Amino acid sequence: MPSSPPTFRPSDLPTFRLVLAAIVLGLLCYFGARGVGVVPPLGPFLDPANGVWALARNAELPERSRAQIPGLSAPAEVLYDDRGVPHIFAATEEDAWRAEGYVVARDRLFQLELQSRAASGTLSELLGERALEVDRTDRRRGFPWAAERGMAALDSSSLIARAARAYAEGVNAWIDRLTPGALPLEYRLLNARPARWRPIDTFYLYLQMALTLAWDDPTATKLQARSMVGAAATEALFPLNSPIQEPIQPNGAGAPRYDFVRPFPPPGRPDSAALVAVRERESLDLALGWTPGRPGDGDAIGSNNWVVAPGRTAAGAALLAGDPHLELSLPSVWYEVHLHVDGALDVAGVTFPGAPGVIIGFNRDVGWSFTNTGADVRDHYEEQVDDVAQPTRYRLDGGWQPLEIRVETVRGRDGSILAVDTVRFTRRGPLVQQGNRWLSLRWTAFESKGPGEDFLRLDRARNVAEWLDGWKDYVAAAQNGVVADRSGTIAIRSTGKYPLRPGDHRGDELRDGSTSSSDWAGFLPVEAYPFARDPAQGFLASANQQPVDPQANSNYFGANWYSPWRALRINQLLRADSTVTPDAMRRFQGDVRSARAAAFVPLLLAAARRDTALAPPAARLAEWDLSYTVENRGAALFDATMSALAPLVWDELILPERLADTSARPTVVPEEAILLELAADSLSVWWDDRRTALVEGRDAILAEALRRGYARALREYGPPDGDGWRWDRVHQANVYHLLRIPALSALEVPVQGGPSTLTPSPGRGTHGPSWRMVVELGSEVRGWAVYPGGQSGNPASSRYLDRLPGWVAGQLDTVLFPARPGDLPAGRVRSRLTLTGVDR
Amino acid sequence: MRRTGLSFLLLVAAFAVAAPLGWWTVPLVGALWGVLRPAFPRPILAAALAALAGWVVWLVIGFIVASDALVRIAARAAAIMQLPSPLFLLITLLFPALLGWSSAALACGLANLLAPRRHR
Repeated sequence: MPSSPPTFRPSDLPTFRLVLAAIVLGLLCYFGARGVGVVPPLGPFLDPANGVWALARNAELPERSRAQIPGLSAPAEVLYDDRGVPHIFAATEEDAWRAEGYVVARDRLFQLELQSRAASGTLSELLGERALEVDRTDRRRGFPWAAERGMAALDSSSLIARAARAYAEGVNAWIDRLTPGALPLEYRLLNARPARWRPIDTFYLYLQMALTLAWDDPTATKLQARSMVGAAATEALFPLNSPIQEPIQPNGAGAPRYDFVRPFPPPGRPDSAALVAVRERESLDLALGWTPGRPGDGDAIGSNNWVVAPGRTAAGAALLAGDPHLELSLPSVWYEVHLHVDGALDVAGVTFPGAPGVIIGFNRDVGWSFTNTGADVRDHYEEQVDDVAQPTRYRLDGGWQPLEIRVETVRGRDGSILAVDTVRFTRRGPLVQQGNRWLSLRWTAFESKGPGEDFLRLDRARNVAEWLDGWKDYVAAAQNGVVADRSGTIAIRSTGKYPLRPGDHRGDELRDGSTSSSDWAGFLPVEAYPFARDPAQGFLASANQQPVDPQANSNYFGANWYSPWRALRINQLLRADSTVTPDAMRRFQGDVRSARAAAFVPLLLAAARRDTALAPPAARLAEWDLSYTVENRGAALFDATMSALAPLVWDELILPERLADTSARPTVVPEEAILLELAADSLSVWWDDRRTALVEGRDAILAEALRRGYARALREYGPPDGDGWRWDRVHQANVYHLLRIPALSALEVPVQGGPSTLTPSPGRGTHGPSWRMVVELGSEVRGWAVYPGGQSGNPASSRYLDRLPGWVAGQLDTVLFPARPGDLPAGRVRSRLTLTGVDR
Repeated sequence: MRRTGLSFLLLVAAFAVAAPLGWWTVPLVGALWGVLRPAFPRPILAAALAALAGWVVWLVIGFIVASDALVRIAARAAAIMQLPSPLFLLITLLFPALLGWSSAALACGLANLLAPRRHR
């Protein structure tokens, strides 16, 4: 009997199944369309055609592809090499920047938008209410005000205006052709769509970088110290000049000079006026989003660069090394690119996503790199206003001046208004209320007309003279730029606008805003900048130390300089090697011997000599080679000891109400170079720990620090001979994703290097060498480089993290620098992209 | 039997072809299948399996095109959601299956309620 196909019967679907189906469908549609907490909407996220899985199909670059960019004057060819670096061959500079915008957006679209929004006060539109305070701070800080003013004042035919426009066209061309499957993962997680890129976003990027690098505002630090130990002691602890002079501009000494001649004045009476001021400054810092003290840990944000003249290199060609130390992130803060325009531009190196051109790199004739000068270029003024609650005018020279008033509206993801703030500006800059007082800020970064233009000129330089001339008007943040050319000329200059202040010329005090006599009288002329060219010593180096010996140049550039441990070490290495090779430059970049440890370990050993209980840790320190190699077991003890030392010595700088707390740390900590200077006076009253009944001297405190450091190391790391003391167990690098999503980050990466070594990895390991580059300026320019991470921002891509192992190992990749598309070895071409203009 | 298999393949194809339009096509196709109430053994289950298979087609294409990248993104996406990779894959497959099942079941049930006499 043939069976007939079954048919539906109502009894197959009892009511409960119907209800169950409705509930399941309702729930799935709800969670499919709406995210819950950190979980994105499941539907578009899991969708195999266009969802997160589709990122796999878009992870690698296609062998060949074509695209159109509006405005492109002629076809441009982009060849990606096997390191994921795009080599852009274009007909004009504008076309090259258009193509650059396109390829950067292709690899780093989310990073572009996130960075721009982080500076423009519109992060809430992407991230929601959790970013509200960041946005309000940006706007109080005057970033939109400054960027819009800069754009309005910009000559539309200027180099940066043309570059920013062209770059934006390139970015938007990619956004316009973005397929759902290629939407970056972060947008999927945030359930957002990319915003279009505007030329002003490039300016926001430069403002953000200026902020990142504007760490050094000694005013707050010194006010804090004055409020606790008085003015005289503060001057000693936070001096204008570093006690160890190994300046960027060589002083001819041929060795570091230790100016350990000052007797330290004893702690003075707390300065009540400073206490009031410091509280106001603290709230001002908070209002403007300045990080109190220095960002990161120690000299986490710093950099090294150096250059060696042909006479001291093995090949007789100048060698240059660049190594900016910034926050490590995935994707990297840098993007590597090569731009070629026949007869006009041929430059390779790295740029910040969002910045047209190349920031650090080399062309056919010149190589260059930067370190941060750390100059003091922010001043604060106490202003008199007409109405303390709702001011509309401020007093100046006996009259009233109108305040510029902006109403800032912060919007959320759905366009709803999250906050409306009134932000006021004097002619100096943003005005912020502190209690009944109003303080204004003047900062050189606000005075830059066309930030970024200087870097575009550097890309074109044909020799050191042109390079130096190309950025003589550069404003902020001040940078120590080293440069070398193929003729063998080397130079360094600390470039940026340094304000000329009235009176003592110093910028570390709060100023009276009611008189124009408090205003900056202009800026130092470029001739007064710290500078050296072809010095007799045959090399130049900078590592964020005081740029110039005050005996040679007494202009005020800043105060409270970084301890020059890295500068001491690189100068030591360069003095000892008169036949430097590119590989030696690479090794120097990865050097892990600590000049800081070399300074303090002998003192600790001498202090421990009389105490038999300290024999084990002293022996451990004595056998340490002062190097932060991954396997060494001495660095952990030294670091624990130095950590214990600061609160023991600087107990006078611990808040009185916290003195009883043994874990309390000083509110402000003098640089360790000051501590070394203090060590020259073993009986200084500063050594005494006021919390004990005894009167301690230097050796007692050093011994106590060693005792505490050893105890902590035993407690936290286990037996000294165990693996727990290995440096790679104690400390790792942490390369966080931009949204700090652990799954997209590279965490607990074992690395060599520690605090203040040439390859630094201090604190939580979140900062470090962000782009190591070596360039040889011979008959042919050759470059080698690496950065942690990879070119692609797509976590599915093999280019997301491919450079990390080489970076950890201290290796450099050869930078390919073809003069023509055909010069790139065929075996190393991974992808070809042809860009054309839009057919009209 | 052949006709049943063909119908099932057609249903799989419908789910797969519609997928690029968005995940919401799964309940749409499922509901359509349920409303049509085809002569098919266990049609609701078939809808679930076909929806699953329709998405598997895309995953297989992804695997063929970029297997390494697919494994990487599976691992990272799973880690973001704090799940093991296999569980993330399972959720990816269960999601359309449940959508297909529930939409087909609901549509079929409603269709039966609205037109009960047709089958009596």
